[in-house]
Amino acid sequence: MIRKIIAIAKQDAREGLYYRFDLLLYICNFMIQIAVYVFIWLAIYNQGNQILGMSFEQVTTYYILVVSLDPIIGWGINEILGEAIRDGQVLRELLHPISFFSYYFGIRIGELVEAGIVGIITFLLCAILFGIVLPQSLFHFCAFLVVIVLSIIVIYFFEMILSMSAFYTNSVWGIEILKRAIISIFSGMIAPLTLFPEWVQKIANFLPFQECIYTPINIYFGELSNIEILQTIIKQGIWITVLYLLAKFIFHKAIKNITINGG
Amino acid sequence: MAIIEVKNLVKTYKISEKQNGMLGYIKHLFHPKYREQTAVNNVSFNIEEGELVGYIGENGAGKSTTIKMLTGLLTPTSGSVIVNGLVPNEKRIQNNKQIGAVFGQKTQLWWDLPVIESFRLIKKMYEIPEGEYRKNLKKFTEILQLEELLDKQVKNLSLGQKMRCEIAATFLHNPKIVYLDEPTIGLDILVKDNIRKFIKDINKEKKTTVILTTHDLKDIEEVCDRIILIDKGSIIYDGEKEKFKDIYGNKIIAEFVVKNKTKSVTLETQEEDFEVIEETENSLKIRFNHDKLTVINIVDSISKYCEILDMHVQEQGLEEILKEIYRGEIIRD
Ligand SMILES: Nc1ncnc2c1ncn2[C@@H]1O[C@H](COP(=O)(O)OP(=O)(O)O)[C@@H](O)[C@H]1O
Ligand SMILES: [Mg+2]
Repeated sequence: MIRKIIAIAKQDAREGLYYRFDLLLYICNFMIQIAVYVFIWLAIYNQGNQILGMSFEQVTTYYILVVSLDPIIGWGINEILGEAIRDGQVLRELLHPISFFSYYFGIRIGELVEAGIVGIITFLLCAILFGIVLPQSLFHFCAFLVVIVLSIIVIYFFEMILSMSAFYTNSVWGIEILKRAIISIFSGMIAPLTLFPEWVQKIANFLPFQECIYTPINIYFGELSNIEILQTIIKQGIWITVLYLLAKFIFHKAIKNITINGG
Repeated sequence: MAIIEVKNLVKTYKISEKQNGMLGYIKHLFHPKYREQTAVNNVSFNIEEGELVGYIGENGAGKSTTIKMLTGLLTPTSGSVIVNGLVPNEKRIQNNKQIGAVFGQKTQLWWDLPVIESFRLIKKMYEIPEGEYRKNLKKFTEILQLEELLDKQVKNLSLGQKMRCEIAATFLHNPKIVYLDEPTIGLDILVKDNIRKFIKDINKEKKTTVILTTHDLKDIEEVCDRIILIDKGSIIYDGEKEKFKDIYGNKIIAEFVVKNKTKSVTLETQEEDFEVIEETENSLKIRFNHDKLTVINIVDSISKYCEILDMHVQEQGLEEILKEIYRGEIIRD
């Protein structure tokens, strides 16, 4: 099964890498974004302001990480799957000799290869250009990676659930916007979550999205104790289980009831 | 035991009746109104291993709906489908391993990649043994003339080239059963011939069961041994292709080139057992039942009114027979 998923991932990545030039443009775009942020923060810090006790280097690092993680978390399967459902191509995909979830997980990993290349290159170039704070320790860096990998799985099931609504409605685009809004607010992508009102933080604490950006970055900086890191991982495990079951449930309901367009 | 058993199969679609405008939309949210449409109505048939079946009918007759239920993509409203011992919509993945399918414009080829890459992924997904894969690839490449296509990106292929690759992809894993829903739609004659030949060859060699929906009757004439004719969701004929012609057809069309016509043949022969379809000053087109009359009879009858210069006789094709059935001109006894 794993071998088949990897084969699908390779295929998807190969197709994505066919558009190498696009990936290059993404990297440029992300670097410009980071540069703008860095200069804004530079101006603020030059006026002698201190924000949340973070040094300028920390803020810079925060934004470099946010922007580099953005494609890794955000380039999911929502649009691909939604589109496939809408134009009926999903009929073909339901005829593969492996489960629908495995197939799309393969696609997700394929997308991750492209996103990973973009994210890592952006991160490295910016680290050299603007300078960064290194992770607290090797342990913290590993924990940072683990939490991100688990987040990718959480987001995968979250996207499967959202996309399957395309079986009932036709608004793939609206759902993509909704997903982006939810993730960017509650993950700390727009700004560190400590800048938000308390009630937003409470919701964010409950939802699994702050583990996409905010929590791993804090782990990177060494702001979380070992116990807190463990709690984070357990929380993610629970969310993965819940979303997995929910996604399967919705899929089996949908597949029994829907009639797919086309053909 | 039949490889496909379909019993009292029914599919009723629920079509939501949306009213126009915002108000209508809101009304619909609270009081959804549905219209029911029965696309497949109490259909039963058995198909044996190795059969080549043509599933034919007009647009909207219910062909695709039936195929979707056979492949497990659609849950029947009632009735049962058993394919090689499995209920497809319950054991979807298991069933997928033993079947192949082509659905009109849907594709399993990867748009941006060379064709061969898609084939390789299929090999991995279906766990096709290396030797078997090589053997099939070689044979398919030969029959379907894929030599120059394999290294091309799918997006650069013409419709006919794409369909040839699609067909090859569908048979690569030696499926026991293959469903082809309108595989030849929009293709030119040469490609159609090519695909028909391929289907026949593979069926002969591997005993692959093939169900082919089409409204190109040439497909049926050349490929299939058995016809299932569906109209408005119900089967109106199921049996051998040749018997079909016997029951509905066995009609001969004779065209004559004539001169010195003295009277209107149409009027003069009204009482006779044949039918004049077309009449001009120097031509006649006559249809008659071969069980009752022979060409000699016809020649005898009409030579009273004109001089026959030339004639051409042919059996009525499947297409004309179907047209008549649809027009309601033929009703089976
Ligand atoms: N998803 C659907 N929802 C509602 N009605 C449908 C749907 N698919 C097909 N139909 C209706 O069912 C009937 C049979 O369609 P179909 O099986 O596609 O016919 P064919 O393949 O023979 O052209 C048609 O009247 C069609 O309008
Ligand atoms: Mg159809």
